[in-house]
Amino acid sequence: MAYAYLFKYIIIGDTVGKSCLLLQFTDKRFQPVHDLTIVEFGARMITIDGKQIKLQIWDTAGQESFRSITRSYYRGAAGALLVYDITRDTFNHLTTWLEDARQHSNSNMVIMLIGNKDLESRREVKKEEGEAFAREHGLIFMETSAKTASNVEEAFINTAKEIYEKIQEGVFDINNEANGIKIGPQHPTTNSTLSGSQGGQQAGGGCC
Amino acid sequence: MNFFRGVMGGQAAGPQPSGAETIQKLCDRVASSTLLEDRRDAVRALKSLSKKYRMEVGTQAMDHLINILQTDRSDSEILGYALDTLYNILCNDEEEEQGIEPPSTKQADDLGAQFTDQFIQDPEHVTLLLTLLEEFDFHVRWPGVKLLTALLKNQGVQVQGIILVSPMGVSRLMDLLADSREVIRNDGLLLLQQLTKSNAAIQKIVAFENAFERLLDIITEEGSSDGGIVVEDCLLLLLNLLKNNSSNQNFFKEGSYIQRMKPWFEVGDDNSGWSAQKVTNLHLMLQLVRVMVSPVNSPGATASCQKSMYQCGLLQQLCTILMATGVPADILTETINTVSEVIRGSQVNQDYFASVNAPSNPPRPAIVVLLMSMVNERQPFVLRCAVLYCFQCFLYKNQKGQGEIVATLLPSTIDANSISAGQLLCGGLFSADSLSNWCAAVALAHALQDNLTQKEQLLRVQLATSLGKPPVSLLQQCTNILSQGSKVQTRVGLLMLLCTWISNCPIAVTHFLHNQENVPFLTAQISENLGEDERLVQGLCALLLGICIYYNDNSLENYTKEKLKQLIEKRIGKENFVEKLGFITKHELYSRAAQKPQPVFPSPEQMLFDHEFTKLVKELEGMITKAVHKSSEEEKKEEEVKKTLEQHDNIVTQYKELIRDQDAQLQELKEQVSSMSSHNEQMQMTISQQLSQIQQHKDQYNILKLKLGKENQSQGDASQVNGLQTEELTQLREELEELRKQQALLQIQLADKDVVINTLVSRSPRTVCSSGGASPCFG
Repeated sequence: MAYAYLFKYIIIGDTVGKSCLLLQFTDKRFQPVHDLTIVEFGARMITIDGKQIKLQIWDTAGQESFRSITRSYYRGAAGALLVYDITRDTFNHLTTWLEDARQHSNSNMVIMLIGNKDLESRREVKKEEGEAFAREHGLIFMETSAKTASNVEEAFINTAKEIYEKIQEGVFDINNEANGIKIGPQHPTTNSTLSGSQGGQQAGGGCC
Repeated sequence: MNFFRGVMGGQAAGPQPSGAETIQKLCDRVASSTLLEDRRDAVRALKSLSKKYRMEVGTQAMDHLINILQTDRSDSEILGYALDTLYNILCNDEEEEQGIEPPSTKQADDLGAQFTDQFIQDPEHVTLLLTLLEEFDFHVRWPGVKLLTALLKNQGVQVQGIILVSPMGVSRLMDLLADSREVIRNDGLLLLQQLTKSNAAIQKIVAFENAFERLLDIITEEGSSDGGIVVEDCLLLLLNLLKNNSSNQNFFKEGSYIQRMKPWFEVGDDNSGWSAQKVTNLHLMLQLVRVMVSPVNSPGATASCQKSMYQCGLLQQLCTILMATGVPADILTETINTVSEVIRGSQVNQDYFASVNAPSNPPRPAIVVLLMSMVNERQPFVLRCAVLYCFQCFLYKNQKGQGEIVATLLPSTIDANSISAGQLLCGGLFSADSLSNWCAAVALAHALQDNLTQKEQLLRVQLATSLGKPPVSLLQQCTNILSQGSKVQTRVGLLMLLCTWISNCPIAVTHFLHNQENVPFLTAQISENLGEDERLVQGLCALLLGICIYYNDNSLENYTKEKLKQLIEKRIGKENFVEKLGFITKHELYSRAAQKPQPVFPSPEQMLFDHEFTKLVKELEGMITKAVHKSSEEEKKEEEVKKTLEQHDNIVTQYKELIRDQDAQLQELKEQVSSMSSHNEQMQMTISQQLSQIQQHKDQYNILKLKLGKENQSQGDASQVNGLQTEELTQLREELEELRKQQALLQIQLADKDVVINTLVSRSPRTVCSSGGASPCFG
């Protein structure tokens, strides 16, 4: 399907149900038992400001041993969802994740902090604490539940809105695909390449 | 420079220094010279010796060369020489290419692996190499790419591991594809091929770095299938990225890249004289399509890829190749296999395929044209296998298609003027070529798979035999041929067809048993002590007899379940029967066929098992064994248990219904209560409104009364006015009276409502209690 923009996201954080979050967003279903992720891909179309936006999302591994693999994904992503599961441990690790993300990503990457409250009964971190952390580090914040689907849409969409606003402000260099943003095929660009315009014709003809 | 000339020119007097000595001297110079130029010359000399004295240079100079890479970063020339030298000592291919004193390849491999081990012992060396690739200078980047490729070829897993954990490692290598110098881009492709070999994590990162986009662009720029070896390299890399990598496949599909494959298959009318490169390219392109819709992928993923392949016209394009002339046989075969997997289990695509016609006069359905090849002895074996696969995929989960195929055999729908699929299958079934027999039998079995209607329909098929004799049923003809002792392949095919046909279809079982010769034939086959070759046939006969027991509805008095079991016990023996039944799964070719749906056989003689049939065997073997072992008493007991269970079920169902009814009643009453109470609220509101109105009127009245009193006092003589006021007063009194009456009326109404509400409120908990009272009975 034709889109105005394509954004690349990554989902990072300890093993806190990141895959459930992605599955809820792309397939609208909850699957509690899931194989260990190393990296999985998911995609969905959303609408912002009347424009179709395609989200391509890479769900990464939470385990320490895969941390170096995850690092390869920061540079090319426009948005990151940093997830903890409202227990103390995963909240405490946020700083390390954030340092990693800031170090390896491009400076404009939008980061949204997400408290995934599937484990409400084991909550150790109050919502206010999450908010405070987000404020301190300049992140947007939300508590979601992959189980009940609460706020899941909003989390992905709000991140996209933030990126979209940054594009409108001219912060992103949208002609550099390495930033994780691509202009859709039907968008006329000043320096569109041969391949770009061909892709456009094809995408216009068919639909996925 | 004198020294150098001595080494190279060999003009100095006295004994020639040995290679090892010279290399040692050069190494010393590389290590100790303070002048860059001297070091550069020494490294250049090492490079020129590195092929002839590979062993010596490798053992003596490697550390020095690595040192140069670390310390002489500013001089691209010396870096280039050092990288070239390292490449020469690490790379195994070069020697074979150049043919210089080729030692045994084994030894050469060992040398390359040995030096590679030495080089990567310190992972920093690989990281260093990755940093050097950022150097734009051609003389550094190019040998750097080649060296890293050689390392990956020699010790893939370790080097992959090091690159994976070095930040930006993979990204940097991806940048090579954007290099404007073709040599580097092309060698970068070879590097990425090695890098992505069987490492899913790296494959995903490479895809994340927009590899699909870039590779598809390069393929287009290079002329798609008409392009050279670069296209082939791009395709091989794409295959690496997509094969068995569901995440990347999903990304490929979601990125709308399937649509970009379609133009690859736009071939012209004249397809003669394709170059070998074009054939290779198209082969890989077809393989890429198959990777996306492989039966081993998750069904959902395959289904959505199949859908977009139809929507973007890729399937249509493939069917065009299928029907085009002059296409080389192996491409045609692979195209058939590809079409098979694009339509397998997808109703829309199967329907489209059924509608494809060959451009003949008159036009014939593609299916018919393909089946003609399948039952044609002169066609290549792989092509016939491909057609069978295509036919199977067309019928897979396609009840409509199954019906259409079987219909071409039925008396009412036979069209005598044109060749039909049914005619071809029957022809194949009874031809003299055992391969045709087998293929036709399996193809027909697929038209019956999981389809009771078609199993019953096919019983109606009658065949005309020789003149003057009555027609014989298809079922009968199959068993006739079976008993005539034809080739093993033929009999195996027919037995598989019969098993599929009568399983799960009691009417067909009855038809089969109705022929008095069938059961004696089967028992004789099973009980005899036959050679190795006949074991599979014996197993299949046991299976067929087993199906006759398991799916028997006891409608033939001589062949009831019980009688057949007694027959086995007497003639064959239970244990012997089960052992013979086990021959099927123990056959060496069984598990191979069970692995995947595509019929692939190393030789025509090994074409014995069908994938779907192996599933049927798996399902039936245990059930039949149990059924044969069970005594009649046990069976009776089971029946009884079944009956009591059914009774229990009935009771439970009854209670469930009762509860459901009560639940509905309860719901209804609840709704009534809520509507009553809202009604009541409304009434209350009206009353309070009216009360306040009355109050207002009262107040007005009081004010007026007061006014009147005052006026009476002050103006005693204003009779006219007073008279008027008296009139007004009476009027107001009347109004007041009226309002009081209204109020009384409303209060009565209110009291009524209260009564109604009270009764309802008291009724509703009672209903809750009564339905709650029923549940203990259920428990």
